Amino acid sequence: MNDISSQIPAEAAGTRQPERRFGEPLLTVENISLSFGGLQALTDISFDILEQEIRAIIGPNGAGKTSMLNVINGFYHPQKGTITYKGNIRRTMRPHMAAAQGIARTFQNVALFKGMSTLDNIMTGRLLKMHNLRAPETGVFGLDQVLRWGAGALDFVTQCLYWGPNEKEETRQRAYCEEIVDFLEIQAIRKTPVGRLPYGLQKRVELARALAMEPELLLLDEPMAGMNVEEKEDMSRFILDVNEEFGTTVALIEHDMGVVMDISDRVVVLDYGRKLADGRPDEVRSDRGVIDAYLGVAH
Amino acid sequence: MFYREAGQFKTSYAADQAIYPIRQDKIGILILFGFSLLAIPFIAPIYWLNSILIPFLIFSLAALGLNILTGYCGQLSLGTGGFMACGAFFSYKLATAMPDTNILIVFLLAGLGTALVGVLFGLPSLRIKGFYLAVATLAAQFFLIWMFNKFSWWTNHSPSGVISAPPRAVFGDIDVTSASASPEAKYVFLLLLVSFLALIAKNMVRSRIGRSWMAIRDMDIAAEIIGIRPMLAKLSAFAVSSFFIGVSGALWAFTYSGSVEALAFEINRSFEVLFMIIIGGLGAIMGSFLGAAFIVLLPIALDTIPLLLGLPLSVETVAHLRLIIFGALIIFFLIVEPHGLARLWQIGKEKLRLWPFPY
Ligand SMILES: Nc1ncnc2c1ncn2[C@@H]1O[C@H](COP(=O)(O)OP(=O)(O)OP(=O)(O)O)[C@@H](O)[C@H]1O
Ligand SMILES: [Mg+2]
Repeated sequence: MNDISSQIPAEAAGTRQPERRFGEPLLTVENISLSFGGLQALTDISFDILEQEIRAIIGPNGAGKTSMLNVINGFYHPQKGTITYKGNIRRTMRPHMAAAQGIARTFQNVALFKGMSTLDNIMTGRLLKMHNLRAPETGVFGLDQVLRWGAGALDFVTQCLYWGPNEKEETRQRAYCEEIVDFLEIQAIRKTPVGRLPYGLQKRVELARALAMEPELLLLDEPMAGMNVEEKEDMSRFILDVNEEFGTTVALIEHDMGVVMDISDRVVVLDYGRKLADGRPDEVRSDRGVIDAYLGVAH
Repeated sequence: MFYREAGQFKTSYAADQAIYPIRQDKIGILILFGFSLLAIPFIAPIYWLNSILIPFLIFSLAALGLNILTGYCGQLSLGTGGFMACGAFFSYKLATAMPDTNILIVFLLAGLGTALVGVLFGLPSLRIKGFYLAVATLAAQFFLIWMFNKFSWWTNHSPSGVISAPPRAVFGDIDVTSASASPEAKYVFLLLLVSFLALIAKNMVRSRIGRSWMAIRDMDIAAEIIGIRPMLAKLSAFAVSSFFIGVSGALWAFTYSGSVEALAFEINRSFEVLFMIIIGGLGAIMGSFLGAAFIVLLPIALDTIPLLLGLPLSVETVAHLRLIIFGALIIFFLIVEPHGLARLWQIGKEKLRLWPFPY
């Protein structure tokens, strides 16, 4: 696959015909370019993700898929281009800010908290949603900040004493996490340290942790890598259920073309950091450039 | 057979989240605490109180503090001695400047002061990790000890080398500090204070703040993706850890040694506390106590056991043996069981649950 890039047409096919149920674009990336020293990882990438859709990102190894997700959740800062999220152009941000704005993520190599149990991992995913105390909003300049600090300090004290609001909040959030546990059918491994779980289950726990954030945009980096057919089917079903039941928008990187064709609404194809094609799965599948670069030659 | 949770069904999440969800554990710990509080002061010989139990409690608190930073938040520190010295000197300055203030408030303020120092020296952790952070905290250790030795302001310009901790009372007129206080009173005071602080530590690590520490320890990248601010998590761990260590340093000077001197808090002290949490168990509250007990008791055991066996060892041999055993154990725990004695205890309990059946 050495000389494929030269065969790629500059702007490959891809007519967008989103189905009715999708809303406005939730996230739009425009002309994103990212390089590491001399290595150009992404070149002039533009696409959008509509509310409630399942958007697949595919491409051969090293195409820049993971880098694209890293740009979206603030890990990498592209040298060029803009990202518009929920209608606002986003300035450079850190990952924890992206999290606060409702972007959750799973990793290509499972990135769980190995020393903690399944439940603790999921509870940790809920951190941003937990508030023992909330400062009242007065609207008075300066006072609000002081009140917030005060509430933060009191919150800390309730955690030290595991008392009142803290215990109530822990219990309330635990109930929410148990719903996710039921949903993903991982009841039996609740208390198991995640390091002891088989790979397939670890991937599932990682999804659970991401869901605990109640994200609006869920980024999944090869959620089915290394799974057998059955596990893949389960995972596909979970992704579809999440999308349908909670209306979560999903951006998904996946190598298994069968899965991609089955569950995604639209597909964007990357190769050597460039966008090769963008469209519905059937359109992409029959695209000449894609067949050459990805399906035909690479495999 | 007797150690089972069979028949104990949890009907609420709150019950499942309790510190000791198994009833036998809860009863056991209550009995232990009751015995330590009500019986030991009356039956333990003075030597036991002064040379074993009091240092054990103080070391436990220091180990607890370091465990929060290193065991729970994954930030290696070699500055423990320096932070203990902060607590000791801060409380000495405060206690002599405000002689009428309750000593508990003095210790609290000294702890808060140490927390501030800890945050300051924790700032490099935002940029560097592991070995490099350890070196940065080592710098803190040397700088702090140098500072306390260098400026006589810290010792109120005392002309003599020995600075005695002033006697102070807690409840009414019961002295709990300085050499003049009774060992029983000091012991009970320490037991209550350290137990209370350990309870707070336990509560923290099973709440939000503790989870944010562990997340940073296990996978800082994923932690940030979840919305944890690494700066807040790391600096809060430095603050809480230094608070505990600071209070332990104050207690060391005021209730154990009775004198305030930087010599007690040299780099060796830092390593000693680090060994405690490695042997006791990284990331386990109980491990801090087990490790402290182990290190306090080991030299005594080495002194007495050969004597009982009829082969007395010379003082030097004991000192060397101690180092050899430490070294061997640390290598053993680091390689085989990084969760230390606390984990072995846990495994023992799991076995006991199944006993007498092997599976
Ligand atoms: N932090 C980094 N520093 C240097 N180069 C990087 C970095 N991250 C990614 N790259 C490079 O950018 C290119 C794209 O990598 P990326 O991980 O995005 O590919 P990918 O499409 O996810 O591949 P795969 O299917 O193997 O996961 C690769 O050549 C990779 O080596
Ligand atoms: Mg990748």
